[in-house]
Amino acid sequence: MAWRPAGPGPYVAAALATIALVATTVFGGDDNAGFLNGRQLRLMAPAAPGGGWDQTSREMQAALRTEAGRTEVYNVAGAGGTIGLSQFVRHEGDPTQLMVMGLVMIGAIESNDSPVGLDRTKPLARLTTDYEVIVVPADSPVKSMTDLAGRMKSNLGAVSWAGGSAGGIEQILAGLVAEAVGADPAGVNYVAHSGGGEALSTLLSGRATAGVSGVSELEGQIKAGTIRAIAVSSPQRLPALPDVPTLKEQQVDVELANWRGVVAPPGIDADDERQLEDLLVRMTRTPAWQETLQRRGWIDATLTGPQFEQYIADERRTVTDVLKKMGLT
Amino acid sequence: MTDLEEGPVRPETPEVEHAEARASGLLGVIMVIAAVVVLVDAARLRDSDDALGPAAAPTLLGVLLGLVGGALAFQSRHFLRTPKARPAHLWRLAVLVVTLVVYALLLPLMGFVVCGTGLFTVAALLLGAPHPARVVAYGWTLAVVVFLVFDVLIGLSLPAGPWGF
Amino acid sequence: MGDLLNGFADALTPGNLLWAFVGVTIGTAVGVLPGIGPALTVALLLPVTFRLEPAAALIMFAGIYYGGMYGGSTTSILLNTPGESASVATALEGNKMARAGRGAAALATAALGSFVAGTIGTIALSAAAPFVADIAVNFGPPEYVALMAVAFVTVSALLGPSLLKGGASLVIGATIGLVGIDTQTGQARLAFGLPSLFDGIDVVIVVVALFALGETFAHLVAGTGDSRVEPLRGAPMLSREDFRRSWPAWLRGTALGFPIGSLPAGGADVPTFLSYSLEKRLSKHRSQFGHGAIEGVAGPEAANNAAAAGVLVPLLTIGLPTSATAAVILTAFQSYGLQPGPQLFSESGELVWALIASLYIGNVLLLVLNLPLVRAWARLLTIPAYGIYAGVLVFACLGAFAAGGTIADLIVLTVLGLLGLLMRSAGVPVAPAVVGLILAPLAEQQLRRSLALSEGDWSTLVSSPLTVVLWIVVLLALLSPLLRRLIQTRKATSLKH
Repeated sequence: MAWRPAGPGPYVAAALATIALVATTVFGGDDNAGFLNGRQLRLMAPAAPGGGWDQTSREMQAALRTEAGRTEVYNVAGAGGTIGLSQFVRHEGDPTQLMVMGLVMIGAIESNDSPVGLDRTKPLARLTTDYEVIVVPADSPVKSMTDLAGRMKSNLGAVSWAGGSAGGIEQILAGLVAEAVGADPAGVNYVAHSGGGEALSTLLSGRATAGVSGVSELEGQIKAGTIRAIAVSSPQRLPALPDVPTLKEQQVDVELANWRGVVAPPGIDADDERQLEDLLVRMTRTPAWQETLQRRGWIDATLTGPQFEQYIADERRTVTDVLKKMGLT
Repeated sequence: MTDLEEGPVRPETPEVEHAEARASGLLGVIMVIAAVVVLVDAARLRDSDDALGPAAAPTLLGVLLGLVGGALAFQSRHFLRTPKARPAHLWRLAVLVVTLVVYALLLPLMGFVVCGTGLFTVAALLLGAPHPARVVAYGWTLAVVVFLVFDVLIGLSLPAGPWGF
Repeated sequence: MGDLLNGFADALTPGNLLWAFVGVTIGTAVGVLPGIGPALTVALLLPVTFRLEPAAALIMFAGIYYGGMYGGSTTSILLNTPGESASVATALEGNKMARAGRGAAALATAALGSFVAGTIGTIALSAAAPFVADIAVNFGPPEYVALMAVAFVTVSALLGPSLLKGGASLVIGATIGLVGIDTQTGQARLAFGLPSLFDGIDVVIVVVALFALGETFAHLVAGTGDSRVEPLRGAPMLSREDFRRSWPAWLRGTALGFPIGSLPAGGADVPTFLSYSLEKRLSKHRSQFGHGAIEGVAGPEAANNAAAAGVLVPLLTIGLPTSATAAVILTAFQSYGLQPGPQLFSESGELVWALIASLYIGNVLLLVLNLPLVRAWARLLTIPAYGIYAGVLVFACLGAFAAGGTIADLIVLTVLGLLGLLMRSAGVPVAPAVVGLILAPLAEQQLRRSLALSEGDWSTLVSSPLTVVLWIVVLLALLSPLLRRLIQTRKATSLKH
């Protein structure tokens, strides 16, 4: 690494670098010719590496390999995905740009007063859902959801909930539960954390009454007995946790799915839209994707076209409503 | 604390001391202004029913900023009255800051390699590098190697220009 | 023990050794660059490794992980530009040593310290992980409040000679930490309606701006762009004296790093600050601190790497990722069908022991690779400053872009760089700002969480034996300078009589 002040060295190095650059970028890597004029798909994960959207994007990248060649995944982290969203809508009319999103983003758009909403995107497909589970410490006196609901009715503030970020799916669930048992959603003692792991550590320390998190995130803990699951937010019992009753079974009329899907930028033409939807449906049938669902404990929830757009609109109404009642917007 | 006995032993010319005091006065003034901004921002927050709301920490920090900033500005007030000290190369700083902003704006349009070369070249020349042509060659090599390693090899997608890099 | 030996048998195949080597090399290279840490690298390499055997991939990740932790120290020492918060404390004394021609000694004590701490940390991980996790689990919000108080009262050593200027830096950092959405209520603070500020300012961007950009700007304004530093003077590596002063610091750094790293909200940066303060308090050469004291490099570097091993404790035993890197490693685990958590050791013991064995191997490889390179690294300093700092600028912008992915991050970087320059010119140290940036938001969150959980009852802060012990430490730390002064005046008066 010596710095030689003279000689042709730097120019030779620059020339060699240029050759390598041209060889790899201009002539290399068009192994997906034929799809969308041979251009490569770029997939945005609007979150930091490691989270649910990042995992979804990278699993898609692997499953799309056989269907669309090399796909590129990049992260734009922050604020429940709204930072990524506001950047994403700039790719107007470009069908090679996709973004992973989900229920969490709808909540974040409302609670952050994001200037850009999902109406500025073209929804393509819902892919998976993950349900939420309500847990208590292993030695907690709370025996069941009915028990917890009773405590909430008698003293709402004394029941503390540990969960993810403010306005996120866990807080929405806590608010819906409070509303269903006849308590004031605005009075829920919800303690927000930056992620499920952090919330878990508060719960394990025994300071919080209950915790809420994704089933796939807590499955290991529940099976090992360090925490006890008292209810799941799904319509029926889940294969992963067959002994845990649903909220509805315990007279709490709430159902909430943490779904994830894919959107395209606004203004793409109808033909491209159909092609992209087909591609995503084909992807969900690949063995790689089926294996992913199995491994991650995600539930296949493929839904495309106008039905998906309708679904987003419905979810948005529910979320806005409960957030308003909780005083979060 | 016995930290005082190990104070800087470097020879301090009045000029150096003067420049330092001027900067510290400026920093103090900025801190006081920031204190006002922080306090105004804190007052605007919706309070929660928790014992400590979202405004508690900003209010405390706003007051601290104001006090410490005020003390810094007060300490260096003598030096502000006697304007001297040689002008630093502030124009170079201004050029580099403008370059950084232009870099940020051009990055999505022109790609990492071209912008990186430009940034390296301008920075090196401003810092006093001789031989502009050689600097460009070094900058280009560096940018290309970074691009090859991160974009092509590892897969961190760096912004690319219309020519693919 | 037999399990561990089997793990070694699994890990020590020539193919796996090659992957360990690749991992350590990539990790070191990436760790050297400001702003690009092991988390991002592992995340980027994940899809590449899907086709590898699980053992090979984990071994490579272990190499990247330790390599990245170590690599960060190199630029801190040589260029005063730490790439992440855990290397800030290393830069304080390390760069002073490098400027005095003792760069090789600083790098050597960092490499050896990393090795010692990494090895002890890995042993502790394999021997005591479940036990440590049991204690760590008891750390709830009130315990963290007490721990943060301990950190705040002990980091005064980082403030430098002027309490006012050090305090100013601390407050500035804490204020930067306020920016972004408040976790408890979801409201944006100091974001001025700009979406790019909603998620706060990444610590990496602040560190890179205050140190790397501040340093570059300072050279620019002072017109010292063509200066060179004498890279090597005197004894080539560690002298006997250096070694004698280093090894206790390595052990103390390890003792701080591993337990704090294994706390669910501990992280690797807090122990490095504590280690620096501790070394300064204990050192017989206290007057050298601020001018290149080797203990000030040895301690924090060891703390950093021991914490890196500690972070794996909650990850493996409870499935709690406590850092960005750990979160990515968790993803990697899951993609091989491993579910970290209480059952990990019983269900997929073989792979876990292979991972632990590969941590040992990674550590040894790291030392083997880096110790001979110490002199080569130090020679980097023969490049004139204009070359180095133009390059640093390119990497700093790359790192800022990689951390956030938006152009706004580059603007924030520039503004904070100017702040760094102003602080530097005013004689205000920049390291305390990083301390404030890390500790203040943590302290605020945990305090508010404690009070929310206790429904506003402040006595929750001393509601467990652990909290009481920690608050006693706070009192002792506050009182010790007074006590010392009292004893000194006693001595002085008794001598007069």
